[in-house]
Amino acid sequence: MRTEATARRRVRAAALGVVLSCVTAACSVVPTGRSPVVEDAGKGNPLNPPYARVIAMEPDADWTPEQIVTGFRAAMASIGDGKYEAARRYLTDDFAARWRPETGATVYRPAPSVTSPLPEGATAARVTLKGTVTAVIDREGRYRPRGGTLAELFTLVKGPAGWRISSGPDGLLLTEADADRAYRLVDLYFLGPKGQGLVIDQVQMPVDPASTLAKTTVERLLAGPSGSLRGAVETAFEPGTELIDVTTENNRVVVNLTRKVPAERVSAMSAQLAGTLSRLASGSSFEVRVNGEPYHTDASLLIDAQEYVKFDRWMAPADVSPYYLQDGGLRVLGRENVGGPVPGKAGTEYPGSPATPPAVSGSGPLHAAALSEDGKRISVAALTPDGQWEDWISGNDLVQPSWDRHDSLWTADRTGLQSSVVLRMYADDRRQYRVAAPELDTVEVTALKVARDGVHVAVAVKDGTGERVLVGTIVGERADSRIGNLQPVMDGDEKQTIEDIVWKDGTTLYVLTGKSELFEASLIAEAQQTIPSPPGIRSIAALNSSLLAWAVDDDGNSQVIKWNGKQWEPQVKDDNGSVAYVQDGPALPAFPLG
Amino acid sequence: MATPKKRRRTLRQVARGVRRRARRAAGRLRRVFWRSLQLRVVTSTMVISIVVVAVLGVFLMQQIQQSVLESRVRAAISEAQADRNAVLSILTQPEREASEQSADSGEAAQRTGDSPLSQATEALAQRAGSASRYSVIIRNERLPGEFFGTTNIEPKSVPDRVRAEVLKNEAGKNASWFVPLHYADRAEPVPGVVIGTRLDTTGAPQLVGDYEIYHLVPLDREEKMLASLQQMLIVVGSGLVLLLAAIASLVTRQVVIPVRLARQAAERLAAGKLDERLKVRGEDDLARLAASFNEMAANLALKIHQLEELSQVQRQFVSDVSHELRTPLTTVRMAADLLYDAREDFDPMVARSAELMQNQLERFESMLADLLEISRYDAGAATLDVDSVDVRDVVLRAVADSEALAERHSTRFDLRLPGEPCMAEMDSRRVERILRNLLFNAIEHGEGKDIVVTVGADRDAVAVAVRDHGVGLKPGEENMVFDRFWRADPSRARTIGGTGLGLAISREDAMLHGGWLQAWGAPGEGSQFRLSLPRTAGAELRGSPLPLVPPEVEMRRTWRGQMTPVLSPASADGGSDED
Repeated sequence: MRTEATARRRVRAAALGVVLSCVTAACSVVPTGRSPVVEDAGKGNPLNPPYARVIAMEPDADWTPEQIVTGFRAAMASIGDGKYEAARRYLTDDFAARWRPETGATVYRPAPSVTSPLPEGATAARVTLKGTVTAVIDREGRYRPRGGTLAELFTLVKGPAGWRISSGPDGLLLTEADADRAYRLVDLYFLGPKGQGLVIDQVQMPVDPASTLAKTTVERLLAGPSGSLRGAVETAFEPGTELIDVTTENNRVVVNLTRKVPAERVSAMSAQLAGTLSRLASGSSFEVRVNGEPYHTDASLLIDAQEYVKFDRWMAPADVSPYYLQDGGLRVLGRENVGGPVPGKAGTEYPGSPATPPAVSGSGPLHAAALSEDGKRISVAALTPDGQWEDWISGNDLVQPSWDRHDSLWTADRTGLQSSVVLRMYADDRRQYRVAAPELDTVEVTALKVARDGVHVAVAVKDGTGERVLVGTIVGERADSRIGNLQPVMDGDEKQTIEDIVWKDGTTLYVLTGKSELFEASLIAEAQQTIPSPPGIRSIAALNSSLLAWAVDDDGNSQVIKWNGKQWEPQVKDDNGSVAYVQDGPALPAFPLG
Repeated sequence: MATPKKRRRTLRQVARGVRRRARRAAGRLRRVFWRSLQLRVVTSTMVISIVVVAVLGVFLMQQIQQSVLESRVRAAISEAQADRNAVLSILTQPEREASEQSADSGEAAQRTGDSPLSQATEALAQRAGSASRYSVIIRNERLPGEFFGTTNIEPKSVPDRVRAEVLKNEAGKNASWFVPLHYADRAEPVPGVVIGTRLDTTGAPQLVGDYEIYHLVPLDREEKMLASLQQMLIVVGSGLVLLLAAIASLVTRQVVIPVRLARQAAERLAAGKLDERLKVRGEDDLARLAASFNEMAANLALKIHQLEELSQVQRQFVSDVSHELRTPLTTVRMAADLLYDAREDFDPMVARSAELMQNQLERFESMLADLLEISRYDAGAATLDVDSVDVRDVVLRAVADSEALAERHSTRFDLRLPGEPCMAEMDSRRVERILRNLLFNAIEHGEGKDIVVTVGADRDAVAVAVRDHGVGLKPGEENMVFDRFWRADPSRARTIGGTGLGLAISREDAMLHGGWLQAWGAPGEGSQFRLSLPRTAGAELRGSPLPLVPPEVEMRRTWRGQMTPVLSPASADGGSDED
């Protein structure tokens, strides 16, 4: 009895305690001394980064002709008005019916416009828009840097509602700032030939305010590659696949599609999506759903943010050691920046020119290729203990060889003063094919490098006007191999020779000029000197963020130097751990492929 | 033609049926409501608590809504102020650098390639983050092309009236409006607030025109929050109301159940179960009520017992006296008969006395018989000898018996009998006696006018009404006529020698049949007595086939338009006239 009573009293006391604590907790409106329980807001909405846009204004009756042209220019830059209705209000009815904005856009850097002084009571006027053309954007959104001057003439007439443009150029005229606002650069990831590897298609995509950037990007990915890559790349998606939506759930990006892909292409599709969205939603994982349902009936398809790196090791290769030449043999740079000879004959003997870096293949039994000093022979040695140098290709005047990821060796033979032939030789059966490249037949190819994606190819050509760097794509294989879509990425002049070109990654290449200037060039931007280069650079090698160069000082001592992001520093240590420039020191660095 | 008519009729009938049923249901509901104290208390508690909760909820909701929106708008205004300063600094900086150039900003914009206003908008877009926080629209009407927005806000989100107010206000003054915000990627507008102002450019005279800056803050999250709050308030409020109703129900139940028990006990007590008692539990008010009730019941039982005993003694006394009187009376009667038979031998005085004695002795005898009969009823010894008979025959027999007396009073009978037999289970001897009594009574008080005897029948009951056109009854006398030895006018002598017990016995007879015997009368209108009997012995009588008030009287009253108060039922047995 007594224990029962005590127990009851205890229960009552506990209940009272609970009630009291509840009451006192309710008294303080904002609790102190504990962390708030709220869901992490995350990184906002990564799928749609904020931006500013021009809103088209109605033309005003009191505006001068120049102001009308200015307003028209702004209205052309107004995104989200797909039919350019606001812009057409600046035009006379007649011209508005004729004007075709969809033919593409010209991007220019404006200069002061020239206006003829307007007499009192005039009913017609002319305004010339002047500037420097920097790029053109075609219908497909391909952005191509261009040069040249811009002088577009607009004629205006005065109507009852003020001045209106009665004639002018077709297409859009965008200032650089307008183009920056109206277009977004996105990397679309496609599959290389036979579904191997990833190929980046860089396009400028018009900003659509009615959609998110992620959505328009994926829609653009589903629409297929742009013209320059058509035929050269594949996509994992089934034809007719459409995007329903791209959303974020719990910091995970959910891509909702209408169709599945065949089971063997799921990883390829995952890589394409992860790569394409990696710039937008970096670090987030992805999930693919089909018509709102999980991809697999029993499980959802989760994609790691780094899926594209796993799919294609050349996207972000780790532990790839550079090769270099020293003491007459090919060496590979080890962990402590101390080099060691490669296995086989190549480690002790180098039949190539002392000025031309070797080419190293990327997979299978590794091979090194060297161009002989007279340029007539290319020798290849397997980097295995029993590897021997063998002559693979002979020609009149060959250029430095380049391996692609499919284990074929590329080179160009200058058969005459202004004619070149591109050759491709497969390592597996040692068969050599002539590559169709009509645009290169009549020029002198000075360098040819296949990018690590196996599709892009950079070619340095020399003709009467000077040296240029072109980037094209490889279509087909073996006898059907073809190089097409060559676009200039850098124009040299007579004084500027091109020493070396190397691919940094699938989209960008480094160009070394005769003046030891280092340019970064790509299809979507003007070539720019982004990295200062010390004099005496003879050759370069690059793999993503690693950039190596062979530098020779005034005394003829050489060393391989590396750009660490801020400055160049000597790279190869000798047996004593010294990185000094030495006579016959490390030279001709090379990374596999590229 | 016939079918639609028929259908119309059926439709009308259906409608009428529905209406009738609805009315009946409403009536039942009303009855239940007014009979159940618990239901009434719960209902009124619910009504009051609903009103209180609704008023409180609306007030609370308004307060919360106001404070939430106010704080959001205030935060937005301070954000807008900070943004404005940023815009001003961006706008003035490059201008200062390019101050030697032409002040025509249209040209200036082209020279630099990107207008400072667009740079400012871009900066604001980055500050605002993704569109969910806020959007900005900046414009300068004087400068062509200087009209920018962030991300996907549509310019129509700034209505003309807001612009008009902004342009009318002095520079730097805010104008805020709640407006629907339109976004390019959403089909439906989002509720939001727009805070517009003209940039105060007094410190930067180089700036041309009015820079209008609009901050558009979506309030969809607030709306969602307030909506869920409202929902919660409604749920909590309804829960509270139900809880209060449950509490009220529980509390009233605690009070009502003992009261109900007490009522049931009282009903049983009233039905004659005098040993009915309540359970007394605890010491509260209800327990004391139960105790008092029990005490009252005990006292009542005691008193009733005493009265019953007394009444028993009296009845026994009357019965004994009647029995005891019979023996000497028989002797006296025999002696009187002798005297009466030999009256012709007496001198007239004595002969007349003998006649008188004979008459009074007969009356005495019948009175004694009636007394004995009524004491049988009092003792509960009366039994029915039930048989199925035609009421018309009984009536005719009773009329035949009364024929002689009627002739003496020059009264005629007007019989209104139905054509078909009116069979009913009854003790015909007793019913005949009732009718005889009624007819004698009518002859006695009919003042020689016609007596109407009506027989009526329906499915469940038969009825006989005897109507005279004599002096009638005064109000309140309808019940008293059935009392023993009651006389309408005490000064009036009994002319046909009634014992004063006839109607009382008739009433007892009718009750023994489970029927009613009721009287109606009005001064100058005569009176009517109605006997209603169930067709089946032992069945409960629900109504009578004949009206208690003669139809011609009723009609006359209606014509006069003065409705008399409803007549109270004449019988004390609870029977009521429901036809």
